[in-house]
Amino acid sequence: MVASQDAAAFGELIRRHQSQVRNFLRKLARDEALADDLAQDCFLHAWDKIHTYSGTGSFIGWVLKIAYTTFLQSKRKSKRYDEILEQAGHEMDRAAVTQQNAPEVEMDLDTLLAALNEQERVIMIFSYACGLSHREISEATELPAGTVKSIIHRAKEKIRTQFEIENHQYG
Amino acid sequence: MKSKIINMADKTSDAMDRLLASAFKSEPIADDGFSKRIVSRIRRRIWINRLALPVAVLVGAAFALKPAVQLVSALLPLLNVVPVEIASAPMEFLPQMQLIVLGGMAFAAGITLLKVLEET
Repeated sequence: MVASQDAAAFGELIRRHQSQVRNFLRKLARDEALADDLAQDCFLHAWDKIHTYSGTGSFIGWVLKIAYTTFLQSKRKSKRYDEILEQAGHEMDRAAVTQQNAPEVEMDLDTLLAALNEQERVIMIFSYACGLSHREISEATELPAGTVKSIIHRAKEKIRTQFEIENHQYG
Repeated sequence: MKSKIINMADKTSDAMDRLLASAFKSEPIADDGFSKRIVSRIRRRIWINRLALPVAVLVGAAFALKPAVQLVSALLPLLNVVPVEIASAPMEFLPQMQLIVLGGMAFAAGITLLKVLEET
């Protein structure tokens, strides 16, 4: 139905998946308005490319791959992104300091993401925020599945070390 | 002993996964017209794509009409040197050419109109 370029059917798909795509982009871009603009662009790109969707993988995995590409393109082009990222970086640094001063405070996402590099951040968001499988993340990021697994492992170790999470603490 | 270590590692990994899942968890975002805005942008783009060819034909024809007429009027005196039997054929054809162009435009407009009616 959608493959035959039915705008109404595609609208239904947007309604179903917009929350996940916008949440993904908000976590990446750290700015709601920018993320929503990117989400709109992402769905427009998805509409243009809908004939390339084979239907074998999950639709959300396919759309999130487009969302990630849209984000990367925007990042390359936009100065606004750099400004937001810089500002978000300062906020994350502040959050990290607060976290160190008050270890009993529940770990928030900004603090947690601040401990990771960009690639780890993207893959952890794909994995834990979007619930994509290693294979889907591998397709979205065009990295081998083994590399995705090792990046997740490394990121978890970083978080564990950075926040001094004891093995028994959450067991 | 080995299985105990593996179980411990799994338990730790599960606990870490739970912690991360809760940290990354986010509330669903309400649609609030988001999908409608995109669908209307998509419909607008469909319209633009549909209209692009007929509009391009019309604009092209409008630009080409004047030079074409000038060319034909420049060529007309040359027809005197051509034998009457041969010259008469294109002379009959020339008025039909305008009709063909107009007919083509009307056809393109008609197709567009039909698509519009189909869409609405």
